[in-house]
Amino acid sequence: MASKKEATRYIGQPAKVLQAEPALVIEWPRSLAHRHTYGKLSPFFKGLGQGKLLATRCSNSSCAEKGLWLPPRADCPDCNQPMEWVEMPQPVIGTVHTYARVEYAGAGVELTTPYYQVDVELPGVCTIFKGYLAYGEPTIGMKVKACFRTEDPTNTILDMCWIPEG
Amino acid sequence: MIVLREGNLRVPRWNRKVYAVAGGLTEYKKFCPEMKLEEQVMVAFRQMLEANDLKLSPVEVKGLINFIAAGNFADHFQDQLLCEAKVTDYLGLDPMYDIGVKTGGATGGSTVLTAAMAVASGYADVALAVGWERMSEVDTRTGNYYISTAACKDFETRLSRIYAAYYAPMAVRFAWSYGLSEQTRAKVAVKNHLYAYYSPYAQQPGKYTVEDVLNSPMSTYPLRFLECCAMTDGAACLLLCDEKTAYRLSDKPCEVYIAGGSHTLRVADRRDMAIPLLPHETPDMYEGLRKKEGQRWPGFESFAAARFAAYFAFRMAGIANPLEELDLIETHDAFTISDIQTYGDVGLRPYGQEPDFIESGDAYFGGKCPANLSGGLIGTMHAVGATGIFQGIECLWQLQGKYDKFHGDPKIWASFGKRKPADWMSLQVPNARQAAWISHAGVGSHVTVGVLRKAF
Repeated sequence: MASKKEATRYIGQPAKVLQAEPALVIEWPRSLAHRHTYGKLSPFFKGLGQGKLLATRCSNSSCAEKGLWLPPRADCPDCNQPMEWVEMPQPVIGTVHTYARVEYAGAGVELTTPYYQVDVELPGVCTIFKGYLAYGEPTIGMKVKACFRTEDPTNTILDMCWIPEG
Repeated sequence: MIVLREGNLRVPRWNRKVYAVAGGLTEYKKFCPEMKLEEQVMVAFRQMLEANDLKLSPVEVKGLINFIAAGNFADHFQDQLLCEAKVTDYLGLDPMYDIGVKTGGATGGSTVLTAAMAVASGYADVALAVGWERMSEVDTRTGNYYISTAACKDFETRLSRIYAAYYAPMAVRFAWSYGLSEQTRAKVAVKNHLYAYYSPYAQQPGKYTVEDVLNSPMSTYPLRFLECCAMTDGAACLLLCDEKTAYRLSDKPCEVYIAGGSHTLRVADRRDMAIPLLPHETPDMYEGLRKKEGQRWPGFESFAAARFAAYFAFRMAGIANPLEELDLIETHDAFTISDIQTYGDVGLRPYGQEPDFIESGDAYFGGKCPANLSGGLIGTMHAVGATGIFQGIECLWQLQGKYDKFHGDPKIWASFGKRKPADWMSLQVPNARQAAWISHAGVGSHVTVGVLRKAF
């Protein structure tokens, strides 16, 4: 290894002092992007951008439950066997199971506040599916219809929302 | 539907008895720049060693510890992996083995469970359960986002980025299913902020009215800010040991039982299932529970993890009826609604009648089973990794008759730069014999129920 002639220099950014007394408090920058896979659930997230809502069903004849799952899961928790994709028939109409109005949201919120989050029951689905209501006021038992963000998709769960039906 | 089979329902048992003898806390506050995390842990460790009337010197007690369970909820706040190693070193406990424990909001309870298992199994005669959280390393909204990553990343986090938004739908649904007024919810907040008023450790003490709570700003409808816990910096230490060492160290040891349960991260995936019954319950009690359309158990109304933890813990401890046999309880009141939901899970009321635990007066000081005399999470603290340890310590001090010693001493108040209120009152429960505490994560993803019983 060649000998190092130049002295080692500082090339970083000095830490900003947020508070000097009584204890020294500095800013600690943290900005980075992770890589996240949707794994075996990729068809679901691709489907949203194509206006489709995909659930999974356990088709194992010896499974005691044979549930239809939304959010989907690639594998059945009851019998631990792989599940199959099922496209929910359009229009997808559900019933509001419960809701909340988000007024104060954490950093990075991607929806304009306030907005309604809705938890939706769907026919034949053993789970309840969380989403947001694009407009209107939810009540428990209200019918809602699924809408999809097919143009300029976000590639996230925000590619679908619900609107009042009827 | 989850079906529990024989092996799943085997009640845990200790191979030998486990005792708690001493605890230590810190002041709890939103931002503690004057101390680093390990320095703050030292404050709790010193109180545990020096202020609990132990019969050996601090150095001698340290010399007995040979296992450490270390609870810390979120690495991303502190941005320091392996904090456990820094803490164990800083406390002067190297090279004793420490296991880092992480189960979200239940981290503290799981930490006590881990230390108790070490003692019960014979791995250690004396084990330290230590926990901390340093949430002030980020601003509150960033903290809100970090915590919301304890919802399902793919299907939930982007829909809110604040944890109140995962409890708010439960509040709406619970009110619809079983009937619950905003006033009853607010009473939980009023009670716990008030009890925090008597605690020198408390972050959010206050004498509020129901109207104050209902007029406070909305976090996520229907939950107001005064109904929610806050971000906290702080730590807690609890010392557990075997029977022989317990009496060697203390004249006032208390027996410990603790068990846990887990359930899906997403509430929405909690399918209907049979309710595991507590010893005092009968199947006919719940025949009419699912009378409205779409109702399921635990659904959005209850926590199967809390029920399962109680199912185990009460049987381990031989408790037949918690309301009759517990002299006090510390519940995980991160939000008013989750507190009320849990009353059913741990058998303080039958499912569907939870609000009556507050309305009847049972939950208040002087009531049948006073809840959160410490001030709880809403009033005193939620330094997440420390919380389930703090709750156990507050129970321990009650059973030892030391509420006044640890809350009423003006020197403790002064050490935090506070003045003991002129109208301070003692919340010591007379002749308390048995107490329980609930440590709870996520929207009920992990829950421990611990029981402490006076053994002197």
